[in-house]
Amino acid sequence: MSDTAAVSPSAPNLIQRIRRDYSPLVIVMVSLFLTVLLAGAVFTDDFLTWFNVKTIIRDAALVGIMAIGLTFVTLSGNFFLLSMKEIAALSIICFATLMGAEWNQWGPADGDPATSALVATFLIAFLVTMVIASIAGAVQGALIGLGGNPIVVTLGAAGLFFGIGSWWSDNLVVSYRRPHGAEWLGTGSFIGDIPNITVAFILIAIVAELVLRYTTFGRQVYLVGANRAAGRATGHENFGMAIKCCIIASVCAAFVAVAFSGQVSSAHVNYFSSEFGSSGDMTIMVIAIVMVGGNSIMGGYGSTLRTSLGAIFISTVDNMMVLNGFNSGARVLAVGLMIVFSIIVFALVRRGSRAVE
Amino acid sequence: MERLKHWVTENPDLSFAILLAVSVYSFFAITEPLFFTHRTGFAIMERFAVLGLVGLALTLCIIAGEIDLSIGSNAALAAVITVRFTDSLGAVNALLIALAISTTIGIIQGYFIAYLRIRAIVLTVGTLMLLRGVALFAAEEKTVMLTDFRIPDFITTKMFVYLSPASILVVIMFVLVGLFMTYTRYGREIYAIGGARKEALASGISLQRPMIIVFAISGFCAGLGGVIIGLRSGTAQALGLQHLLLAGTVAAFIGGVSILGGKGGVIGAAIGTLTVNFLNTGLVFNVTPAFMVQMYLGVLLLVVIMFQTGSRVFEDSQRRSQLLQDVDRRRRILADKIAQVRRSPG
Repeated sequence: MSDTAAVSPSAPNLIQRIRRDYSPLVIVMVSLFLTVLLAGAVFTDDFLTWFNVKTIIRDAALVGIMAIGLTFVTLSGNFFLLSMKEIAALSIICFATLMGAEWNQWGPADGDPATSALVATFLIAFLVTMVIASIAGAVQGALIGLGGNPIVVTLGAAGLFFGIGSWWSDNLVVSYRRPHGAEWLGTGSFIGDIPNITVAFILIAIVAELVLRYTTFGRQVYLVGANRAAGRATGHENFGMAIKCCIIASVCAAFVAVAFSGQVSSAHVNYFSSEFGSSGDMTIMVIAIVMVGGNSIMGGYGSTLRTSLGAIFISTVDNMMVLNGFNSGARVLAVGLMIVFSIIVFALVRRGSRAVE
Repeated sequence: MERLKHWVTENPDLSFAILLAVSVYSFFAITEPLFFTHRTGFAIMERFAVLGLVGLALTLCIIAGEIDLSIGSNAALAAVITVRFTDSLGAVNALLIALAISTTIGIIQGYFIAYLRIRAIVLTVGTLMLLRGVALFAAEEKTVMLTDFRIPDFITTKMFVYLSPASILVVIMFVLVGLFMTYTRYGREIYAIGGARKEALASGISLQRPMIIVFAISGFCAGLGGVIIGLRSGTAQALGLQHLLLAGTVAAFIGGVSILGGKGGVIGAAIGTLTVNFLNTGLVFNVTPAFMVQMYLGVLLLVVIMFQTGSRVFEDSQRRSQLLQDVDRRRRILADKIAQVRRSPG
């Protein structure tokens, strides 16, 4: 036996490593997929232009920010929140109501208000929205941390938040007048022609990745997600972790709500249910991004970088299909196929690399 | 009386569900004069036809320790297929095709869950989106409609005061599934893989068969629910029916399933669904908007979950303190014995 070790002392190169670690089925599937993507990129007109690249990233930004927030929950082993779009709906109603509130107008009643007045209005509305979203997240996190099943808890919480949002707005569209301070975030741009929301997406992605990699909190998230018993033994209960992660996810959802409201200067509880994107349901889209990015749904494995790339990937495929004239049915189907595909591939990879339970 | 007391202590969850159902019903029966009538009873049974199926499907899944999130999409797909093909193929053929497709989807899901050994939530959240895409594709992104309204009329014919062909079918389904779960080996296997999966696998039960059965029944129920909704209203939307998941989950949890699996039953599912229907119908009498009904359901689910989780945490802490006491006691006895040995000469 010792000669074989002596005969091949060199370390395996990349191709050998891939062939050793993954089953042929996985390799064939992934390479087929990449080929189709590459062919699509080359043969689609107007796909490889600077304008289109900007469009792709801007499309990915809103769902991407939400997905980055959700990644924390997933990494900490609490599956996912089924209430993402309802938190966003509650936040958007809260934000728009405060932006339009009489007491929150700091400029003169007629004529264009000064910039400082607009900023004051925006900041007050923004901060109150964030506080309310954090409370919503903390309530869910506490219930999850006490041992409630995340899926069922957030399913119930989704109904609750949606009800509160509809009741608050009387199920009407809440609008506020232009100009307002949120326009800067929603549609403005301060670096050349790159929209601010894209800049925000990139910044949030970088910050989240740094937090996960280099801070104690980030490592605790991985620990609790990978091995809950070990976490408890070292004093990191899931209770506090679930609350923190749910607050992060809720704040990200609220940020997206604020940015989206800034684009349309109004709010309605159904903005994230029916009229948003091609999928018709933002929660599932966000979960799709987390999964397609390749994070382990059971927790402890993955990163927000993967999530951001997943968002850009889904947005790329969507964009390509739009350019080729596909309807929304085919696009939703494609995203669904991507999720199922990634689930199966990652399950096969895991089966190959680790002993089954 | 003695036997009743015995039964209540034997089945605390079921008796709680019955108590809740009776109190919700009597609350509305007392406050609303029209609630306690045959017509309202018929309306409740009509709602039961759809929600009961979803509640039954989710109950089975949760008994097996899993949850099927794709149930709304599956129902929407079945509804779209039935309504779209009724005109060209006839209602019965369209219905059978839709049911076959839904059941096949369920079987495939169950097979993959068992084969890949992943949690059902992971896969079904993917198929939730996939099936929605398929439904959009089948409906060509439009709301499909029936042109012949004799079928909706037939389905909602009143029979035996409370029932219609649709609800009779659903009641038969409940009886069949109940018998299957209680009296066959396959039914008991489902309880086994839910309550104690590792032990069940170690004792030689294959994961595949019960999983496939559970998800086949779940797919069939979702499909049947979608078919009934589609044919009854004469229209179907690919993006509709997503609210079924929340209502079905509430029904299942009121019916006494535990999120840990292995607990609950078909009777509980029926009672849970009836409770949700009483609440829904009663709130309609109060002119409650739909989103408020959803909010009440959400609150109800949170309360039930809190109750269940609280009792579990309480039991755990009880067991833990009992264990610590035992350990202390034994340690004391041991210390006493050691002291005795030391004291004794030699």
